[in-house]
Amino acid sequence: MRADVIPISILTGFLGSGKTTILGHLLRQPGFARTAVIINEFGEVGLDHELVETSEDSFIELKTGCLCCKIRTDLTQTIQDMFQRRDAGNCSPFDRIVIETSGLADPAPILQTLMTDTGIAERAVLGGVVTTVDTLTGAATLEREDISQKQVAVADRIVLTKLDLNGAALSVLLHRLTELNAGAPVHRADRGKIDSQCLFGAGLHDPHVRSLDVNSWLAEDRRSHARHDADIQTYTVVRSEPIAAITLTLFLETLAEHCGTDLLRLKGIVNIAESPDRPAVIHGVQHVFHAPGWLKRWPSDDRSSRIVFITRRVPQRWVEALFEAIGIEVADVSVGR
Amino acid sequence: MSEVSLDLACELLMQSLAAWRVAGAVERSRDGAIVIRGALKDIRIDRAPSDLIFRWVVTIGGRKRWAISLVAVLRQVREALDPGYAPNRVRVALTPLVPY
Repeated sequence: MRADVIPISILTGFLGSGKTTILGHLLRQPGFARTAVIINEFGEVGLDHELVETSEDSFIELKTGCLCCKIRTDLTQTIQDMFQRRDAGNCSPFDRIVIETSGLADPAPILQTLMTDTGIAERAVLGGVVTTVDTLTGAATLEREDISQKQVAVADRIVLTKLDLNGAALSVLLHRLTELNAGAPVHRADRGKIDSQCLFGAGLHDPHVRSLDVNSWLAEDRRSHARHDADIQTYTVVRSEPIAAITLTLFLETLAEHCGTDLLRLKGIVNIAESPDRPAVIHGVQHVFHAPGWLKRWPSDDRSSRIVFITRRVPQRWVEALFEAIGIEVADVSVGR
Repeated sequence: MSEVSLDLACELLMQSLAAWRVAGAVERSRDGAIVIRGALKDIRIDRAPSDLIFRWVVTIGGRKRWAISLVAVLRQVREALDPGYAPNRVRVALTPLVPY
């Protein structure tokens, strides 16, 4: 990996949820100064970029459609152009990119684009997904808009904005957020103000601090509140015994094959039988998976495999049964039956 | 390690119908096979004879097909019951997950 690899983070959230306000405040923070921004607006006349004060040459607006469905090629080309301009000294230096999606964007295809483009892959790592939720209208939006649910479900961090609510109504919203994504820490922005580090240190690997925080990334200990009748469910599959590499491969292939877009996101740390001292970390978005990353050592004494699932109507019992069945058949083959 | 029990296979198939949002019922026949009664057709799943490399026999519309694993069984069952099924192939990301 190149030494100058930088994180690309996604700032998402439904229409009017305060993304641009937060971005505007973040860009005034010294710790956020060397940040290039891509704003995707949906509509003929973009306004958001007018509301964000930043260096013109490290700021790009994409406004021909929604990032998630129409202009993914534009996104990759834009990011590659930004790197080329930086390399040539033709723009302000930056060591982080933030993509503000349109309010109607599904973040999953954007994540996939960032994971699979050759030009981006050599220069960047995923920096995490931050989702804004408006406390005033958020609960109603989550009930009404599927895309809003997905934005919350795939988040690494959630930011509450427009803190006009308190008491019971806020409790209802927080409960709903917990149902959708109990693993993501919820932060509160005071009129858009929030500490950038608590938001954008959300990826597995932060090149700025050069460390891996797997437990925080997984946050599986907080994921146990899924509503049984909910469309979007989050759960963790735990295995105490090491898992054969081929079992994991077949398992992930089968998940991708049958779940497709219903597998919103998957993260995990896995005890691979062939590599007992170096756990594998895995990450997938729908049918796109990273090659497993190998940690130098276990982050704690807990050597169990833990895989966090964020799905749309994929029953945990199916996942558990599939994993068990594949494991048994693989073991069966390995003993020569 | 023993082979996959019919109970586990039955549970996997029941949950599969739920995951795929496909109508149908999964039950055990008196002779021990697994029978799926789907909206479009019925499917019978038996263990393959132990002298073959296949583990399962899937009978759909009177036609027998062999399956080497439960993963292969799932694919055959879904193709039979879910006309809109288009399998997704894993695509491997190019960005590294960790810098080692």
